[in-house]
Amino acid sequence: MPTDGPITITWIDLALCSSLLLANGAVSMWLGLGLGRKLLIAGLRTVVQLSLLGLVLVHVFEAGNVWLVVVMGTLMILMASYEAVKRAGRRYRGVHRDVFTSLLLSASASMLFVSLLVLQTDPWWAPRYLIPLLGMVLGNSLTGVSIGLERCLSSFDEDRPAIELWIAAGAHPWEAARPTAARSLRSGLIPILNAMSVAGMVTIPGMMTGQILGGTEPGMAARYQILVMFLIAGATAAGTTGVVLLAVRAMFDEGGRIKRSVS
Amino acid sequence: MRLEARGLKKEIGGRELYRELDLRVEQGCTLAIRGPSGAGKSQLLRHLAGLDPNRSATIVQAGSISLNGRDYEQWDPFEWRSQVCSVPQQVPRLQGAPAELEDRIARLSVQRDRKSDDPRELAVSFGLSTELWERPWTELSIGEGHRALLAILLARCPAVILLDEPTAALDPDATAAVEERLKGATCVWITHSSDQAGRVGDEILTLSGETDAD
Repeated sequence: MPTDGPITITWIDLALCSSLLLANGAVSMWLGLGLGRKLLIAGLRTVVQLSLLGLVLVHVFEAGNVWLVVVMGTLMILMASYEAVKRAGRRYRGVHRDVFTSLLLSASASMLFVSLLVLQTDPWWAPRYLIPLLGMVLGNSLTGVSIGLERCLSSFDEDRPAIELWIAAGAHPWEAARPTAARSLRSGLIPILNAMSVAGMVTIPGMMTGQILGGTEPGMAARYQILVMFLIAGATAAGTTGVVLLAVRAMFDEGGRIKRSVS
Repeated sequence: MRLEARGLKKEIGGRELYRELDLRVEQGCTLAIRGPSGAGKSQLLRHLAGLDPNRSATIVQAGSISLNGRDYEQWDPFEWRSQVCSVPQQVPRLQGAPAELEDRIARLSVQRDRKSDDPRELAVSFGLSTELWERPWTELSIGEGHRALLAILLARCPAVILLDEPTAALDPDATAAVEERLKGATCVWITHSSDQAGRVGDEILTLSGETDAD
């Protein structure tokens, strides 16, 4: 087996791998789980979406156009925002705008930081680095953002009598909702904290695995993974903080009275 | 301080609770409010406290409210609520002990520079032991929790205190202690007891919950 480069994966190899999904489908049928159709759709989506991504990335890498990278990054953030709101399950008027704003600011700031100061890529928007790293940042940030948002909106309902007590005593919205916001933030950050705690002990993270399979020396792969984890942690913390603050703001009117607009 | 309201009206979900309602509470006096459940008594307190937006998807409220002749619209809403303070009917789920609530309320930006009384002293006058000040809210009985909360809010010296059945969970002795201590305070006091309304109210307002359809 060669050890200095990636093993070429053919469509036949992938077809062989799909037998694992077929086994899942068989278990689903045997236990009457009714997941067969969902497995089929999920499998097909994986193949189509990742193949398309591969094709698009080839063109983006070759084009070397900053605006193409910006458009692609913005689209990725838009899709991540949509998915984060969908996962949160609860919403209010303006939630899409707030989630998009949070993800845009947190992802942009963290990517610029890494591109300009850490990796010092030339140009700063080098798509080979920026797009995959942004994908990892968004994939993880949206988990934190959706959990933080869901906890914030559901806690706001549960804590409404306590929040209203503070409001009745003259508290400003942030003073009244601070404990609720703090709990929501903690919830949103737990997944990345857990991932960082077990990285290398229980799990070998996806990016490190990919790099090792791609022929990178394990020590370098580990350093890349550490960089990515710190990047994700920073972006998730910033994105979750942003979305919780904006959600809290959306719960009150300009006079600090609670609005009743969560659904 | 005098609380005055004119032409109050409130609808929730299209149902009119009251309209063209006038009231006036002079300094040191208590207005007792009576009426059947659902008549809008608690909603009236929310209206006076400025807790609801004037217009939302489900609530419409109108009318003018003033404190000492200064209209609600001229007040900073946060300052208004600290001056016209509403005490809820039930103690909400709170973290920590009464001492922590006392400390946090004292540190609110609107409360920071205000003079205050000692809430523990007030609590004692309500028949409570100061020992419970450090006990978690979850370990207090409903009546203890309510009196501790009342003491903490009253200690901030609001101009008017809005009370929603403050003695509903109390025994007769504790009820008498609370009534005695609140004599001389400017209050709007909801009660289901006509005896209590007679004892505490300088004036009594009865809400029927019925308004004539136009």
